[in-house]
Amino acid sequence: MRAVTAIIVGAGQAGLATSRALSDRGVDHLVLDRGAVGNAWRSQRWDSLRLLTPNWSNGLPGASYRGAEPDGFMPVSKLLMQLETYAWRFGVPVQGQTAVLRVRRADSGYHVDTSQGPFHCEALVMAGGACARPNVPALSIAASSAVFQTTPAAYKRPNDLPEGGVLVVGASASGAQLARELQLSGRQVTLATGWHTRLPRSYRGRDVEWWLDVIGLMDERFDEVDDLERARRTPSPQLIGGQEPVDLNALQALGVEVVGKLADVRDCQALFSGGLANACAAADLKMHRLLDAVDAWVVERGLESALPPPDRPAATRLPPSPVLKRSLTDGDIRSILWATGYRPDFSWLDVPVFDARGRLRHHGGVVSAPGLYAMGLTFMRRRRSHQISGVGADASELADHLLGHLDSRRAA
Amino acid sequence: MTVQTETKTVDNGVNVEALLGAKAAISEAPAAGQFTWRARCTWMNGAHSRSTVEGFFGLGEEQDRKAPHVIEADHPEQFAATDKGATPVELVLSGLASCLSAGVAAVAQHRGIQLKSVRATIEGDMDMAGILGIDADVRNGFSAIRISFDIDADAAPEELAALVAQSQKRSAVFDIITNPTNVHVTVA
Repeated sequence: MRAVTAIIVGAGQAGLATSRALSDRGVDHLVLDRGAVGNAWRSQRWDSLRLLTPNWSNGLPGASYRGAEPDGFMPVSKLLMQLETYAWRFGVPVQGQTAVLRVRRADSGYHVDTSQGPFHCEALVMAGGACARPNVPALSIAASSAVFQTTPAAYKRPNDLPEGGVLVVGASASGAQLARELQLSGRQVTLATGWHTRLPRSYRGRDVEWWLDVIGLMDERFDEVDDLERARRTPSPQLIGGQEPVDLNALQALGVEVVGKLADVRDCQALFSGGLANACAAADLKMHRLLDAVDAWVVERGLESALPPPDRPAATRLPPSPVLKRSLTDGDIRSILWATGYRPDFSWLDVPVFDARGRLRHHGGVVSAPGLYAMGLTFMRRRRSHQISGVGADASELADHLLGHLDSRRAA
Repeated sequence: MTVQTETKTVDNGVNVEALLGAKAAISEAPAAGQFTWRARCTWMNGAHSRSTVEGFFGLGEEQDRKAPHVIEADHPEQFAATDKGATPVELVLSGLASCLSAGVAAVAQHRGIQLKSVRATIEGDMDMAGILGIDADVRNGFSAIRISFDIDADAAPEELAALVAQSQKRSAVFDIITNPTNVHVTVA
């Protein structure tokens, strides 16, 4: 059995940033990944995907963006090169092709079973992130025999789906982007829309990510917000890595049919909620509240004349009577794309650190078992935690905590 | 959570502390949050029936009220009935309006907004060709429901719109009406 002080599970941006933070503190460690650097980005994302955040915001600790297009949106292939370069430049000790099968407590730390044999470590950082596996509701079973079904983690390109109509379930970032791509491929898309987050790509001449950054929203900390549970549940915004609008107005202009949240599948019929208008009204209200905060920031700093005037997006337009049901057998809908979010994957963690609903119990990434940490989760320590720009500060704070844990154990 | 503005106490008759306490208690002990509501209905004559609601199950045990509530239902005279109560579909509309109004009051209290008046007007459209079995393509129930709120309060129009949006988001009856529910009917 190999022994190492710390093991990081996952060699994506969260794992690499954590490795750098541990190296800075002289903690010997290994980064294990079932594939290679950036495995989830490499194997579980679609071909056309570009990062939602502009290039300038996608630096890693010690490696800010230096390319020629700071305002561009990099494709995943570019991000993978950036991650690989980072791992090489900082000598990140990555051991690829090593799937973690089971982790359990051992007298002094953790016993880690992997596809390459067992390891022992004193501290473990779970850096698989918030998007390790797609979340598919149980409804998919009721629909199983009628139509082809897939998720954004398996989907690569429109031709992966049969010809004919597609029901895209979920209108957050993945669902909105793929609804657009599939509609443009000539397939009639029906987009089932529950609670969602609407943001314009740019406002008053600046990218919305720039605004979120400067008004301080992305740096809000987990121990400062009113309702952390709610903040963590906030759906990803209807944005694409590019200038094309993908809000419901833009999608409908392309011919996408917008319907309410998928409420049930019964007798091979998809039933949609009649609450669509309120979901849209609530998203519009929240968007305006955020843009109000931007305008207030501009006024406070006396920058009104230096910036273009407010250009608020039009209210979400909906058909007067959105469709409430759709047959899954009459041939109109040939496939379902479940864009119903992602979840972290701790299925290999055999340590009692889960709440009654199976969610990891942690305080800002410090898990309720000594020496155990998470990285890259949604709003883990700050609003940007799950973003590439968010892993640096989180990794640094957790590495300090981890070092404290090692010191206290060694003193004891 | 504050229920006071800087200048005055907001009182919409909603005990926000109690509601937040219930939220915390049920988060801790989810079993206490399992409720069963019931009504007993007795057919009187024709379309006239009388429902009684009294006990319910919740907080882990059977609960009682001080006195039962009685609800009469009937059809109007235009349907050759005795009009001794609202029609069941009007009771549904009234249930939705009541649920959303209670939600508006609770959310307003939570957000420190003093309400002066809240009036809701609700309408449901129905094509009788459905329930009379004239046209199989027409559904029995409402083809559309509209509800309009007239709220007098010390708050900006966007804040009132947000109140109404949030009350829909947390409304049981709104959910019951907008989403399907499995209904099991048995004969004793």
